[in-house]
Amino acid sequence: MSEAIFPIVYQSEEFRLLTAIVLGFLFGFSLERAGFGNARKLVGQFYLQDMTVFKVMFTGILVAMAGLYSLATFGLVDLSMIWINPTFVWAQVVGGFVLGAGFIMSGLCPGTSVVSAASGRWDGVVTFLGVFLGIALFALTVDWLPGLSALYTDGSLGIITLPDLLKVPAPLFALIVVVIAVVAFVGAEKVERAFQQRRHPTELTPKPRPRIKFALGGIFALASLVAMTGTTPRPNPGPKPMTVIAPMTLAEAIIARHPDLVILDIRTASDPELPLIPGAARADSDSSAIRALSHAGPYSTVVVYDEEGTMTEAPESWPRGLDYRYLRGGFAAWESEVLTAIEMEGYDSERRAFVQRQNQIAAYFSGAGVDAAVAAAPPPPLPTGGAKAKKKKAGGC
Amino acid sequence: MQAKPYWNPYLAGTLLGLTLLATFLVAGQGLGASSLPKRTFAAAAAEVSPEWAANNTAIGAYVQDGEPLRNWMVIEVIAMFVGGFIGALSGGRFNVTVEKGPRISTRGRLLYALAGGTLMGWAAALARGCTSGQALSGGATLALGSWIFMMMVFAGGYALAYAVRRQWT
Repeated sequence: MSEAIFPIVYQSEEFRLLTAIVLGFLFGFSLERAGFGNARKLVGQFYLQDMTVFKVMFTGILVAMAGLYSLATFGLVDLSMIWINPTFVWAQVVGGFVLGAGFIMSGLCPGTSVVSAASGRWDGVVTFLGVFLGIALFALTVDWLPGLSALYTDGSLGIITLPDLLKVPAPLFALIVVVIAVVAFVGAEKVERAFQQRRHPTELTPKPRPRIKFALGGIFALASLVAMTGTTPRPNPGPKPMTVIAPMTLAEAIIARHPDLVILDIRTASDPELPLIPGAARADSDSSAIRALSHAGPYSTVVVYDEEGTMTEAPESWPRGLDYRYLRGGFAAWESEVLTAIEMEGYDSERRAFVQRQNQIAAYFSGAGVDAAVAAAPPPPLPTGGAKAKKKKAGGC
Repeated sequence: MQAKPYWNPYLAGTLLGLTLLATFLVAGQGLGASSLPKRTFAAAAAEVSPEWAANNTAIGAYVQDGEPLRNWMVIEVIAMFVGGFIGALSGGRFNVTVEKGPRISTRGRLLYALAGGTLMGWAAALARGCTSGQALSGGATLALGSWIFMMMVFAGGYALAYAVRRQWT
């Protein structure tokens, strides 16, 4: 029912490559329509006379972010299958600053230099050549210049998002970003007008049409708000839809000894010898589940799995305020995706990193045996759901 | 042909955002730009010295795959050029010229463009992406490093803006 359908998985890499033709075209076209083929328009951002860069870029980020996280909340997209840029703090601090400096010198960024060149501008062509030279310069010196490869690789935090860092539910964080951005849009309009009056406006700056701008901005903001609030947890009772977690994501969390992770096995325990995901508590009845959950901390992530991932709603009786996830595909998917190694053939480098990691994890969990894996990575202390529930907590939840 | 006005920035931004969202959904990754020159360099380096290229920290992974240019982003950037070209033509903005202010020579402006481009290429290789791959695409996934990068891009731009104002006004 709620099986993630995105990102689309193709039978052959060729089909995926074909999508780049349409999407790349739309990318270039939308940048051109925004005015990003023109260096003089772009640099207005840095002289506060024309905030188009900020407005277009943040509108784009908001639309994609709201769409992505809304679809993830409904279980339609599996975020663990989407490429999220890994964080390398120092490389991104230094690289960002230097790129900004290059941006104001050339008046273009690498992407907009392509659009500028396509619009016939020689400065775009030359900037793009410069980008090629700069990349070559980096590749030629990275293994030779002392300290450069350390700058490139140090400060690695892996794949981490702002909501992960701040321990805020992702949809709530996305909503906060929308609100901040709308305030910033209003501010940008004011700054723009103030600076356009101070200096005489260039012929490139479009005539200010504040009503249309505000109307469009407002409609978009409202639409985003409605979309986002529709997906943030509401306090009214009833079964709570759970968000989805991919088996690999769960495997990584177990290996990383995620401190606030509770795993519940809700398969009917006809066979007490049934293998569990390491660290899982058996919760074959509602009361044993609630007992296990009563010990969970306020920001815990609760991963629930059955045989095939068919349970996608947390019962009304379960404690509120916890981050409930259901394991996509249930225990069957755990067996097929985590415990099974896959062939490396035919993957490019971006995918290969995933595959390599997957095979390490498969070896970790299945090669060493489930018991050994538990010993190697002791899961967070959990009540075992029955015999050992020591503390009697008054009130339960 | 008289140039048509640009789109409202929020409208253009919405089309950009929908394109990016569609990219995540159908391709499982974001949009990029500096990938094309990086992979072109990787392919050239692999021709000249396969062993050096395969062991290089920055481009080694691309070369080990065998075909650095057989990649989603390479096709995307070529299509992006076509999209920009059609956009400029249909908007009446295609014009073979150099964008600059009145106080700088064409040669001076192009030298600035070359220097700025080189800095950006170096920086994009270091940061593993540029404004498209990091700030825009990574920003939409809320990746921590991409937001750090984005803030630093604005910081770098504002820091140098006064020093290079002669180019534009």
